[in-house]
Amino acid sequence: MRSDGPPAPRSWGLHLQGFGAFFETELRVQLHEGVAIVTSIVVQVVLLVFVAILAPRLWSVAILGALVFSFFTLGQRVLNEAAYIRVDHKLNQLYLASPLTPESYFLGLSSGILVAYLAPIAALGVVAAVTVPPSPLLLVLVPVAGLAVWLFSASLGYVLSTRFRDMRAIWSYASLLYNGFGVLPPVFYPIGLVPAAARPLALLLPPSAAAALLQWVVHSAALSAAELALAAGALGGETVLLFALAVIWARRTVRED
Amino acid sequence: MPTEALRADDVRKVYRPRSGPAVEALSGVSLRIGAGERVGLLGRNGAGKTTFLKIASTLLAPTSGEVTVFGHSVDRDPERVRPLIAVVPQEGKPFFHLTPREQVVTYLRARGLSRETARERSERALAQMGLGEVADRLSITLSGGQKQRTMVATVIATEAPLLFLDEPTIGMDPFARREVWEALRRLTRMGSTILLTTHYLDEAEALSERLYVLERGRVLVEGTAESLKREAGGTLRVSIPDGRRLLETLRSFGPSVADGTTLHVVTEPARLSEILAIAVRERLSPTVGPVTLEEAFLRTVGHSIDEE
Repeated sequence: MRSDGPPAPRSWGLHLQGFGAFFETELRVQLHEGVAIVTSIVVQVVLLVFVAILAPRLWSVAILGALVFSFFTLGQRVLNEAAYIRVDHKLNQLYLASPLTPESYFLGLSSGILVAYLAPIAALGVVAAVTVPPSPLLLVLVPVAGLAVWLFSASLGYVLSTRFRDMRAIWSYASLLYNGFGVLPPVFYPIGLVPAAARPLALLLPPSAAAALLQWVVHSAALSAAELALAAGALGGETVLLFALAVIWARRTVRED
Repeated sequence: MPTEALRADDVRKVYRPRSGPAVEALSGVSLRIGAGERVGLLGRNGAGKTTFLKIASTLLAPTSGEVTVFGHSVDRDPERVRPLIAVVPQEGKPFFHLTPREQVVTYLRARGLSRETARERSERALAQMGLGEVADRLSITLSGGQKQRTMVATVIATEAPLLFLDEPTIGMDPFARREVWEALRRLTRMGSTILLTTHYLDEAEALSERLYVLERGRVLVEGTAESLKREAGGTLRVSIPDGRRLLETLRSFGPSVADGTTLHVVTEPARLSEILAIAVRERLSPTVGPVTLEEAFLRTVGHSIDEE
């Protein structure tokens, strides 16, 4: 005999049961870590100081890159937090064996971190608004590109977090990944300095694709129509693909094999 | 709601690590739990208790066999099972940067309860767990026992039809354990069903209406604490520290098991004086008490519950 339970969710589409409450949970958790929030832009500020001293003409590129990088590093926090909750606190078992859907868990966690860390990013945004000549396109593109980079990196961080059984193992991989994706490619420096042969590769990486688009808007980079399309396509396409993968992955990994 | 809360049929689980041999954690576990029952899974570390609980709570795929919760397959229909269950994970900890009150309320909200209901239930659960005074302190400042009580409060506040508790009182002091026991009894009186794992024999006896003893992934025996004790082979237990060498001599007096260097003999009152005489002659100091679940466990499993 079967009981009259709630209807089982359909397989397709996002099922956001419990998202708001888990977002609030994660936001509260993060807001208790004020020092971590404030220090989240230390690397960006240090690099900006270097640029201001060594190459002030690259300021626009660097401050916009700092914004992109700030959104990108939120994925590292998602990676650490999701793994910490699962490995150290085992709270994933509490939350996932409940009506909270796996995508609500992943998105609630990621969004809580995003909102908690918005204040320092906004501070960088204010500096950018004061020092970079604004344009309507820039005002639209900064948040759009920033959110796309956040969604990409949060999705990447969440998927990776499920692969670790030991917190210590995460640190080295996280460092490699975020320096490799966020510092090495032309995020803080002009895409024009990248050798022509390597430019398509840089434009395929969402953080440097976002940075290249912003550089193009402020006339710090000359991109061909094909390069613009590649950057926009890579940023949008990879974000959508990785987000979809993360949702599927979140559903799959609720249950271990 | 069906009268059968949980049914497991021939559940097997084989872990296949990337390196090393496969490990069979469950070797055909079958059990039934009626709605409103409090049932204990008793076993040594590594017996398969947590593996079974993970499968039953939709968090681990079985290799074969089937588990249903109120008629819904945990394997094929987990979305229908999850609203009906709540789980206290083994060694789970609350969010360190939430207070116990925030932890319980936000968890209930994530399960879809209204803010008002969540607040009401959280107050009740926190009070039941004796956490009223620390309800607004960050969990990171709480003792291990208080953190564990926060986890239990979080789950009992759900009032879910079926609760899984994996070693729920680990790290708690005796008073706190009794508060948890009372809260769990109250929940079953209200209609919830509870499946708990424990390796505390007193807890299993105090809390479980029925017990399943697991050993090496198999159910060795099922029954009430009283029926298990009856199967121990006598009503009295004689424990003889350093008496292992008397194992062969005393075997004829009743079921005898050596637990480390201590020999335990389960016997009837009529034969007690003979055993004591033998032990004293060997300059040993036996103690006598009524048979407990410990003897029943030793008799059934052949090892002490604390033995790895």
